[in-house]
Amino acid sequence: MIDEAIVDFTLDYARSKKIEYAEVRAQSQVQDRLTLRNGALEAYVSAVDNGFCVRIMAQGGIGFASTNKWSKEEAKEIVDLAFSYATSANRKEKLVFAEEKGVKTKWAVDEKEKIEDISPEQRISVFTDVDKALATCGVKVVATMTNCMIDLTTKYFVNSEGSRISSFIPKIGAFIFITVAEEGRTEQAYEQFGYSGGWEAFKEWNVPEKMIHNARVLKDVITKAKPVKAGNMDLICGSEVTGIAAHESCGHPMEADRILGREMSQAGRSFIYKGGPYWYGTRIGSEAVTVVDDPTVEHSYGYYLFDDEGVKARRRFLYKNGLINEFLHNRESAAKLDTRSNGSSRSVNYDREAIVRMANTFVLPGKYSEEELIEDVKYGVYMKSFTEWNIDDKRFNQRYVGREAYLIENGKLTNPVAKPIIETTTPKFWTSVDAVSKKVKFDAATCGKGDPAQGVPVYAGGPCLRLRGVYVK
Amino acid sequence: MSNVLNKTEDIVAKAKSLGADEVVAKTTFGRYRQVRFSNNQVDITVAWNDYVTDLTLAWKKRVVATQIHNFRDVDSNIKNLLALAKVSKENPMFGGFAKGKFKYAASKADKNLENLENPTEFVLEAIGAAEKEAGSKIDSGGILYTRFEDVYLASSEGPLGADCRSAIELSIRAFSEREASGHGVECSSTLKDFKPTRAGKKAGEIAKLARNPRVGEEGAYDVIFDPLIFGSSLGVWGGMVSAFYVMIQMSVFVDKLGKKVAPEIVTMKDNPASYSMSNRVFDDEGVPTRDNVFIDHGILKTFLHNTSTAKLFKTETTGNAGLVAPTPWNIEMEAGSTPKDELFENTKKGLYLTNTWYTRFQNYAKGDFSTIPRDGIFLIEKGEIKQSLKDLRVSDNALTMLGNITGISKERQHVHWWGEADPPSLSPYVLIKNVRLTKSK
Repeated sequence: MIDEAIVDFTLDYARSKKIEYAEVRAQSQVQDRLTLRNGALEAYVSAVDNGFCVRIMAQGGIGFASTNKWSKEEAKEIVDLAFSYATSANRKEKLVFAEEKGVKTKWAVDEKEKIEDISPEQRISVFTDVDKALATCGVKVVATMTNCMIDLTTKYFVNSEGSRISSFIPKIGAFIFITVAEEGRTEQAYEQFGYSGGWEAFKEWNVPEKMIHNARVLKDVITKAKPVKAGNMDLICGSEVTGIAAHESCGHPMEADRILGREMSQAGRSFIYKGGPYWYGTRIGSEAVTVVDDPTVEHSYGYYLFDDEGVKARRRFLYKNGLINEFLHNRESAAKLDTRSNGSSRSVNYDREAIVRMANTFVLPGKYSEEELIEDVKYGVYMKSFTEWNIDDKRFNQRYVGREAYLIENGKLTNPVAKPIIETTTPKFWTSVDAVSKKVKFDAATCGKGDPAQGVPVYAGGPCLRLRGVYVK
Repeated sequence: MSNVLNKTEDIVAKAKSLGADEVVAKTTFGRYRQVRFSNNQVDITVAWNDYVTDLTLAWKKRVVATQIHNFRDVDSNIKNLLALAKVSKENPMFGGFAKGKFKYAASKADKNLENLENPTEFVLEAIGAAEKEAGSKIDSGGILYTRFEDVYLASSEGPLGADCRSAIELSIRAFSEREASGHGVECSSTLKDFKPTRAGKKAGEIAKLARNPRVGEEGAYDVIFDPLIFGSSLGVWGGMVSAFYVMIQMSVFVDKLGKKVAPEIVTMKDNPASYSMSNRVFDDEGVPTRDNVFIDHGILKTFLHNTSTAKLFKTETTGNAGLVAPTPWNIEMEAGSTPKDELFENTKKGLYLTNTWYTRFQNYAKGDFSTIPRDGIFLIEKGEIKQSLKDLRVSDNALTMLGNITGISKERQHVHWWGEADPPSLSPYVLIKNVRLTKSK
């Protein structure tokens, strides 16, 4: 589906111009999209999207153009456009990319059960079975909406520095939203699943069990949970809450393009900036806090071995023992901060510019069991999962509203708590952590950034965290 | 390009001959250009050329869809799609695609936007306007985006037509200090009505006013919403009147049809008119688009429908068909009678919010949500802006806020911004009483 000869021709044609750098990135994506409403299949969309783009740096400017028409004439047209855009940028500060050596490689993700071998009937039935399970779980689930996304992505990347990288990555994702009604009131929850690999994902996900658990939690929120009396108290964050905090208040503010202002009008800037109160080496959390971003976690939703600039992926230590340590970089941001790219450049498709992104962001484990964290809390809340959340565009003021949450009294979990809220700052959150549990769990998510929007698959996760003396309402 | 319409019709005929019950094909030739800038300089200029036929067919109430990128692949694509339909599951709610021959209004798309190859000069004009307002040290970033689409639609059920859709928008955010910023947008379907300096001027004005912010206080405030941030609210309410979202309970309007949901001064409609960035003469089933008043003087009058949802609700399609969910195109809030300056003058103590992002719900059916204002946040006292504020969050309820609208300006602006003020809207300044704001502790 990718015509490598056209890709190579495009690069050769780009190199015939006075360029500083050129790359051609082709992508073919076999896509299945299933939408179910209340257990009935609304529509099954099956399509193949493939095309290629060229990115050119010339005279210190960058131009980008893409097409899904595979012809040499079209290739020439997009190169001419990208070149003219680059040379007409007229930047005072000329752009350069951080140095990289050309790479020639192929990589692929294994599928234990090949997705292509799974019939459409099987693909549909795993989700209709979830609705059947929910219908008989003893909770009044009045509405469900399910989206399933299957993407088999083949890429071919070439650049003017000699890189030739081919890759294949199959991904499966699902998003299920439920509404529970009890005693005339409703509560809602969603769950997202994601995996890089084959159909074996479904066995690992335990979708029906997870959704039944969510339904029962919502029933308890309606029938049993009581609000917590607002005040300062200890808070245990379950791995889902740890993950969203790691993603929102560590991963995002550590994106170097944001720090440098390149995303200022959309995703925003960062509370971290040169000359400001937070920079490399500044304390942002307690010694117990180390947050990493790692694309190489096998079968993770954010998995890759080379990024979309052809840079080898590796683990990045963002907050290390509570200190700001390493930003996420692509080649453009790395050059501006006089360092090397750490392989954080991602694009959702051939028609989108690769920008600085997270992959799998999580807190590294500590030495305690979850029970030990709870035992040492006299009065507090255990927020296992969250519902509403958000954070400001400098990534400083955040809010997480609990979905499944329990009161902790004298080291024991007692009653369900209705929608406890923590609304606090990034340093307050991370410096309040005094202990971290041993077991790391991940949740799939879609991270939004870019204009046009580029939702990239990621994991967010970590162990349980214990925060001392934070305000919960 | 009439040969493209013929080819699109051929796809429909082919699918029918191979056994499909109902077929809709829509071919789009899209030409998109974008300039992204930050720190007052162009970062990248982008061009996308996209050629696609979206093919949707139904066979025994099984609805399947695909995309065809090359007319040479048509036969194999249709055969594969029909094979998929035959092993797919029935959608009992499928009510068929729209039936009948329709006459469509002539498109008023601006051909100048088709030929606009490098619109960087507009970016520089906007940056210049922001600088003029707030000084040369201002730091601006944003996007300029143009869209020109030729669209051809054919349906086995009768609809057949061509449309041309054009849009241009500029979004600029200007910082006068690290924590003092303003955001301006300029949106249009034509080049002649597109004035980039308006967006730059607005961003600069707000950025200048926003200097030296202090952390705001929690509490309930009377809040004046700028057209840009109110465009986000219109997007929330407009999305929630889609019948699909009502059916899955992702709407505060469940069981509210015919009931009072807002004060009498509130009238909202969906209208993809020719001025709008969402201009179109037919929806994805080929039904002519029209204006649909969904809140009429405070009463919820209708949901937005495609043919299938309309049958379920025992009504007619409103011309809002997407493949699965009916979708609003361009939401208009009817103008009020008060000049915007009077809204400010009549506010003894309150806030003026200019933009927001990251709106998230705890429960769509109940409407509890929060969103984080960004750019200028201002304390109003005795009708005047007294202080720039920061670090506040609106933590309230979507239905309560709709019910608490007490003032609507005469002035309206066509706004759209990223995914936050989306879909586009025609949005006034609006006063909402008792809006709850919270902050970090």
